Amino acid sequence: MIAAASSLKGRRKLSFPLRLAFRHIFANKTRNGLTILAITIAVFLLCFLLAVVRGIDAGVRSASSTRLVTQSAVSLFVSLPMSYRPKIDAQDGVAIASEFQWFGGYYQDPSNFFPQFAVNKDRFVDMYVNDFEIIEGPNGITGPGAREAVKKAFATEKRAAIIGIGLRDEEKYDFKIGDTVPIIPAIYQRADGGAWEFVVVGVFRPLKARIPDRIMYFRSDYLNDSIEVGEAFGEVSAGVYYVNIDNSNQSEVIATEIDQEFLNGPQRTQTVTEAAFASFFVSAIGNLPLFLGTVGGAVLFSIFFSVVNAMLIAGRQRLNEAGILQSLGFPPITSTFLLIFEGLAVALIGGAFGLALAIGTQDLVVLNFGDSIRNYEIDPGLMGLAIGTSAVLGITAGLCAGIPFLRYRPTEALRSIG
Amino acid sequence: MSRDTYIQLESVTKKYTRGGEDLVVLDQLDLTIPEGDYAALMGPSGSGKTTILNLVGGLDVPNSGRVTVAETEVSGIAQRQLPAWRARHVGFVFQSFNLLPVLTAHENVMLPLQLTPLSAAERKKQADFALEIVGLSDRAGHRPSQLSGGQEQRVAIARAIATDPDVIIADEPTGDLDRNSADEILELLDRLNDELGKTILMVTHDPAAAANARRILKLDKGNLVSDEANDRSRKQSQGEA
Ligand SMILES: Nc1ncnc2c1ncn2[C@@H]1O[C@H](COP(=O)(O)OP(=O)(O)O)[C@@H](O)[C@H]1O
Ligand SMILES: [Mg+2]
Repeated sequence: MIAAASSLKGRRKLSFPLRLAFRHIFANKTRNGLTILAITIAVFLLCFLLAVVRGIDAGVRSASSTRLVTQSAVSLFVSLPMSYRPKIDAQDGVAIASEFQWFGGYYQDPSNFFPQFAVNKDRFVDMYVNDFEIIEGPNGITGPGAREAVKKAFATEKRAAIIGIGLRDEEKYDFKIGDTVPIIPAIYQRADGGAWEFVVVGVFRPLKARIPDRIMYFRSDYLNDSIEVGEAFGEVSAGVYYVNIDNSNQSEVIATEIDQEFLNGPQRTQTVTEAAFASFFVSAIGNLPLFLGTVGGAVLFSIFFSVVNAMLIAGRQRLNEAGILQSLGFPPITSTFLLIFEGLAVALIGGAFGLALAIGTQDLVVLNFGDSIRNYEIDPGLMGLAIGTSAVLGITAGLCAGIPFLRYRPTEALRSIG
Repeated sequence: MSRDTYIQLESVTKKYTRGGEDLVVLDQLDLTIPEGDYAALMGPSGSGKTTILNLVGGLDVPNSGRVTVAETEVSGIAQRQLPAWRARHVGFVFQSFNLLPVLTAHENVMLPLQLTPLSAAERKKQADFALEIVGLSDRAGHRPSQLSGGQEQRVAIARAIATDPDVIIADEPTGDLDRNSADEILELLDRLNDELGKTILMVTHDPAAAANARRILKLDKGNLVSDEANDRSRKQSQGEA
């Protein structure tokens, strides 16, 4: 017959062990199918939860460092008086300040909720110069001139409203420049029992992750004057103040000075950076990132054990094979390698499905939960993390099942025939 | 070393420790098998037959004594080097066939060839040839579950000879087979010995199987109690009768 092999160079050939590993995966369709399904779900959840957490973080990080928020020292739900704005404006280092009052109405149906804020008619557009790009103004004006035109219209038309691009482009809103938009109040009821009417004078595209594209800003004097003349019910107030400052290094000093100014009332204030204010909002809803992170971790942890368990079962079934391979001259590590590869392949298949599911449902999530889940995106970093996590999961499970093979002697392994 | 001492066990002792107690399976055993021999090893269950095969095949190491195969002291090879030595020198045939169920007959035969430096084409050629020798070329693509017991064992023999080893070690190769299949296997082993010059060491309980061998060794409680040349013409005349 043919000349005997002269040296062991078998390790250069990986294709055969790989084929064997794939045969095993297909030979146990049910077990591996379930494992893949579990990993798919886990990786999808991981992507989903991390994308939510990242979205929240992105909002906090995109907060302006040259902006402060002055709120009531008592609570976010206590409004500050209108009289504070000139005093805040007068502080050294303050560039421009505007009241921000939460309106809380809805369009046609409560499910069509988007935030509305009452802001200062003369200051708001200038204050948000870096936060959004005005893309359309009155009479169809677009381009660089749009900002001035919108600023002018906002100062002139009492019912003026500036809207995010989502409210223009989304079919269920479809607000256009010049449209009169009825908003049904939840807090500020009108004497006639009807809706408030706003006239769209500008459309913007957010430049910061923190600002949604479905949001509306309108004039605080429209709200307050209506209350004063008895056309609407409620309290004439400013809500909180957004304060642009000249120099971010000065934020601490200026914040202290503003709070000093109002130390003797009528309402004490607490002034914080916009970033701190944004993260307060996040913690106000129960420290969502930590919660979501914990849920994701728990899911991953339990899936990890089910994958390890599946691989351990595979390993026990592979004892006889390990003995056979050793009798044929394969080193013991071959069986370890086979199990690691099997674990890796199963985990990567599951991970890829999970990631595909997360990417595939991304638009759906944004469409349905875009209002509450901000900046949701399965970005490349997240994709890498999903695949990396799957790989680590699979390799670890394979190692758990495969390491014992290094200790078995071939005679013991062969005895497992039964 | 002469042709008369191809496989040699010198004063080999093998013990197993079980529950703190030593079980001496082989006690200073001496055994010599010349090149090209076909030896049948018989003896009661638990007498140490498989242990001897494991030592000769380098699957296990003795507690003391020397095991030599083809001028190599197997008992002196480092544990790490043993698999490579097995790949080159020994082909195993087991009672329960021990084919990998997820691989086809051809892929099973290809397995040991993966460890050789042969090219892919040469490996395939050699596997084809081995399957041809055992008469199963037409079943190359079948999985073990699609083969009869006798066919499975023939594939296992093809796998054992695929790399052209010097020694075939067979542990009750006909133990799980019916008479007809067993006879086919014995005929095949005969041919490997006669035509290809393989040295064969076969454990068997079956007197008909032993009758095929050139020599019959009898083992009892780890001691060689008889070592006789076998008159194969007797078996042939029986067959013709
Ligand atoms: N790995 C082992 N650990 C403990 N005892 C073993 C081991 N292998 C074999 N034995 C014992 O050694 C004795 C001889 O075994 P073996 O060589 O398999 O016998 P035979 O093949 O002749 O039936 C038996 O009593 C068996 O139980
Ligand atoms: Mg035995």
